[in-house]
Amino acid sequence: MKLSDLREKQRAKVIKIDGSLKSLKKRLADMGFVKNQEIEIKRIAPLGDPIEISVKGYSLSLRKKEAEKIEVEKI
Amino acid sequence: MNIAFAGNPNVGKTALINAIAGSKLKVGNWPGVTVEKKEAEFKYKGEKIQLVDLPGTYSLSPYTVEERITRDFIINEDPDCVINVIDSTNLERNLYLTLLLMEMEKPIVIALNIFDEFEKSGYKIDLDKFKKYLGIDVIPTVATKNKGLNELMDKAIEVAKSKKHYKEMKYSLLFDRFIENEINKLIEKLKKEKLPNKYPLRWLAIKLIEKDEYIIQILKKETEKDISSLAKEHIMVIEERFNDDTETILTEARYGIINGILKDTLKKPKNYNIPFTEKVDKIVTNKYLGLPIFLALMYIVFKLTFDGSGPFIDWVDGFINGYIGKYVSLALTGAPNWLNSLVINGIIGGVGLVLTFVPLMLFIYFFLALLEESGYMSRAAFVLDKIMHSIGLNGKSFIPMILGFGCNVPAIYATRALENEKDRKLTAVLVPFMSCGARLPIYALFTGVFFVKYQAYVVLLMYILGIAVAIVVGLLLKNTKPFETAKSPLLLELPPYRVPSAKMLFGSMWIRTKAFLRKAGSIILMAMIILWAAINLPYGSTPNNSYLAKAAKVVAPVFTPAGFNKWQAVASVLPGIIAKESVVGALGQTLGVEKKSEKKKTSFIQDTRKQIMGLIKATIDSFRNMFISFTPGIFKIESISNSTFSQKIRTVFTPLSAFSYMVFMLLFIPCIVTLAAIKQEFGWGLMFFEIGLLTIIPYIVSVIVYQGGRLLGFH
Repeated sequence: MKLSDLREKQRAKVIKIDGSLKSLKKRLADMGFVKNQEIEIKRIAPLGDPIEISVKGYSLSLRKKEAEKIEVEKI
Repeated sequence: MNIAFAGNPNVGKTALINAIAGSKLKVGNWPGVTVEKKEAEFKYKGEKIQLVDLPGTYSLSPYTVEERITRDFIINEDPDCVINVIDSTNLERNLYLTLLLMEMEKPIVIALNIFDEFEKSGYKIDLDKFKKYLGIDVIPTVATKNKGLNELMDKAIEVAKSKKHYKEMKYSLLFDRFIENEINKLIEKLKKEKLPNKYPLRWLAIKLIEKDEYIIQILKKETEKDISSLAKEHIMVIEERFNDDTETILTEARYGIINGILKDTLKKPKNYNIPFTEKVDKIVTNKYLGLPIFLALMYIVFKLTFDGSGPFIDWVDGFINGYIGKYVSLALTGAPNWLNSLVINGIIGGVGLVLTFVPLMLFIYFFLALLEESGYMSRAAFVLDKIMHSIGLNGKSFIPMILGFGCNVPAIYATRALENEKDRKLTAVLVPFMSCGARLPIYALFTGVFFVKYQAYVVLLMYILGIAVAIVVGLLLKNTKPFETAKSPLLLELPPYRVPSAKMLFGSMWIRTKAFLRKAGSIILMAMIILWAAINLPYGSTPNNSYLAKAAKVVAPVFTPAGFNKWQAVASVLPGIIAKESVVGALGQTLGVEKKSEKKKTSFIQDTRKQIMGLIKATIDSFRNMFISFTPGIFKIESISNSTFSQKIRTVFTPLSAFSYMVFMLLFIPCIVTLAAIKQEFGWGLMFFEIGLLTIIPYIVSVIVYQGGRLLGFH
């Protein structure tokens, strides 16, 4: 499933990032979205987008459009 | 000695630099881009230090301006030492940049910042082992409490002098043997290429394997050789083995190395979840409370800034133009009248104009630093991103836009809070459509004459029209090349809330205001002298036959479709560039309404006393405005009660043409200070673009308003 499909407080593991946008893939990897990385959806913004994700011990906010590129597995 | 500071955003790097260099800091921009650059020159224990603050980055990829600046600086400027500031409460992500910096093989020292919070939260680190793994020096620091700063500087100087370049990576920091093997093969090939020796070969080999377009292009330019083909077979071999692209493989490998080091050196507290930040965020980004809290905070910042600085602005204005102006004018007795006028109205008027902004700048920079350093700014972006993204902007753009309703100038400077250069530019372009406080006197004049019954509604309509035009222009520009912000992703860290140190808040407020005085001041002064000449020459002319009036008479017919083609209306547009409220005075002059001015004779001592009392009163008023009254004073409309003025206005305007003129004034170039701010932050190019935009758009819109109004039967 995609990261954008997760609901609040759900935890997941990163499987892979869609590489169609090379720069986005690299930047997400730099920020900690690497294979098998555990993540958690902390909350969704009041207007439904963006979402706040806990990754590598810090909080990162992504738009759903970008979160769609990240394939995850629920844990 | 050249020391560069590198690190992730939100790790207290600014606070650390403030604590080390203090008042010696200067802010400007990196050449050719709008990324803030802080530098300082000072002596430390007899050593001359040139400190440079590199932009906060998470990585050194070629994909963002900030990262490219950092890479280029380290390669080309060859700093004697790099101080890598890291947030000890988030070692995993921070060390990623450390590894990338170490690949560049410069002498490097780590500042393990925010170490107090680290210890307090129950973390434990085996520092000796940690140092051994990395092979570099690590100094714990607490920037906000001045802890570890001397040790850090001592160590940096020691390392710089030893010229200890980290050519031999520690075994623990090497990639997988398979990858290292390919890197080494490529290094051997590169050795034969005779490349500029500023490039460490291992770094170059890694970048080529990562298919780094940026370095390939630079090398093509520098050596006229395309060496990317050398790496092809190694890329293939690695990608085949690990079944992914090399960029990702190496990124994951680095994180793997970091995990290995931390597993052996770091003890995490059992239950660490930043409880304070969690609690605050539950409220501040709450589904129902998030937006109201943001608006309430904005209201407070807005009110404190503009109402707090207002009395000081008036005082500075009176001090320069009334007091200093009066005595300079006295000193010039005997000099030709035109010289007196040039000095008083042109030069002192210009200096006064710049100085009147100082209180406002101090206030706004204080609050901006507070919002940013406390961590709230990112939450504001989080809450508002959806709205702003629809017109091609970022959530953080909302703050400059709101400030724009008070004054466009600080709003332009507030765009610094945005991460992305294109977001910054587009926001700055749209800010002037926000109707600032100085436009109110114009609305007050015309609504007072023509729309007394509906005064408040007409003024409100102006604000809404400004926002509507900004939205349309934003939608039009967001897909154009220089502004294509729609494509830039949002990768926004929400850092833990932290109490910023007073030193850092006041430091940032002061150095930025100084930069405004230095950089914007000269442009404003120049523009003031040119405008003085246009309005006053030939000297001795009346407002009726100055060059400006003559030019206005020629240009006036152009404005026939917009409904105001009388030369007086057109001639009053130009003084509005000095400051919007000047339009009212200029109309008065061109329409021949006499200003009543009484001059009492006062002595120097009386005048000086009056100024000092004025300053005290301004301070009291400022406090009262900020904390006792509740409505923002900037929106008060003062009505014009001069009946001859109203009558004269009626001879030149009809209700519809007055409305059209107000629309034109709303959308036209706000003032030279705003333009100077755009020049300072974004350069001449964007400033001229803005001048063009803010001339064409007001014309088009006021023509639409006037012609549309006529079709609907108004006149």
